[in-house]
Amino acid sequence: MKTMDLFDMRETLKTEGILICFAGPFSHGIIEELGNAVRRYLETMQMKKALLMDVFSVFIEQTQNVRNYAQKKLTEGNTEYDFNCGIVIIGRKGNKYVVSSGNIVEKKDLEEAIARLAELNRLDKDGLKAAYREQMRKVIPSGKTTSGLGFIDMSRKASEPLQYSIREINETYCFFTLRAVI
Amino acid sequence: MEKLFLPGTRSTPEISFDGTSGVLTISGESYPENSFEYYKPILAWVSRFAQTHTGPATLNINLNYLNTGSIKSLMDILDYFEEMHGRGGDVVIYWHYDDENDRALETAEDFKAEVTFPFNIIAIKSEAK
Repeated sequence: MKTMDLFDMRETLKTEGILICFAGPFSHGIIEELGNAVRRYLETMQMKKALLMDVFSVFIEQTQNVRNYAQKKLTEGNTEYDFNCGIVIIGRKGNKYVVSSGNIVEKKDLEEAIARLAELNRLDKDGLKAAYREQMRKVIPSGKTTSGLGFIDMSRKASEPLQYSIREINETYCFFTLRAVI
Repeated sequence: MEKLFLPGTRSTPEISFDGTSGVLTISGESYPENSFEYYKPILAWVSRFAQTHTGPATLNINLNYLNTGSIKSLMDILDYFEEMHGRGGDVVIYWHYDDENDRALETAEDFKAEVTFPFNIIAIKSEAK
């Protein structure tokens, strides 16, 4: 760390319009606490209930995604990184809200997610609804712990296509950032 | 059939299932740490209920929020009701949602489209909550 104080970090958060930021281990307890704080905070902003719940919901989906991924890596016996350590932010962009999360991901695990995002970004609201209903009906292979609905649900709640960025860490790993504008 | 009661927490709903009266109520929030694990015993109960229950059956849903993992499990519960309905059972669902949250109405409609038994969507006034 270059400086001891967090002034620079605070300035960045301010200029980026970030209202809430958390970096650290995503335990279930933290997700609950943060989720609750997010809800209370948004309630003070005089926004519509549906928008508030959309922001909250995307926040929960993103943080639980990071947590589920970390659990998966743990099951695989991969302890190379602390996969449970992630970053999540909620920010404001004009009259819209941004929910974004980032975590370390093994490159080979990303292919499926990226293909899925590209596919979803081509769909309009009705297409997303159809994809959602189809997935609701799909039988989950045993051993899977996720519903496969997360990205579709976020896409339905977002007002713009979901965006992502990938920064390489080394040959095997990268840092994945997902961004939803609501 | 024995009752099933699970108190609600910040991220799990209150489950109040009465096998005798046939009234099953789910209320609160639903975003458990592991949705499938959480709903496993609940689904096991509903499965036995669907096989053995003879009188009318009512499912009350009063959820503020459910994550995508819970959606899948809730669909499974509704499928058991659909099964009872298919065998000529007298089943009904009352799905309550906050009238200020049109997104919650959309969720209710997503579920309604998947089943054929009587499905009532009821708006609850926000301030009454």
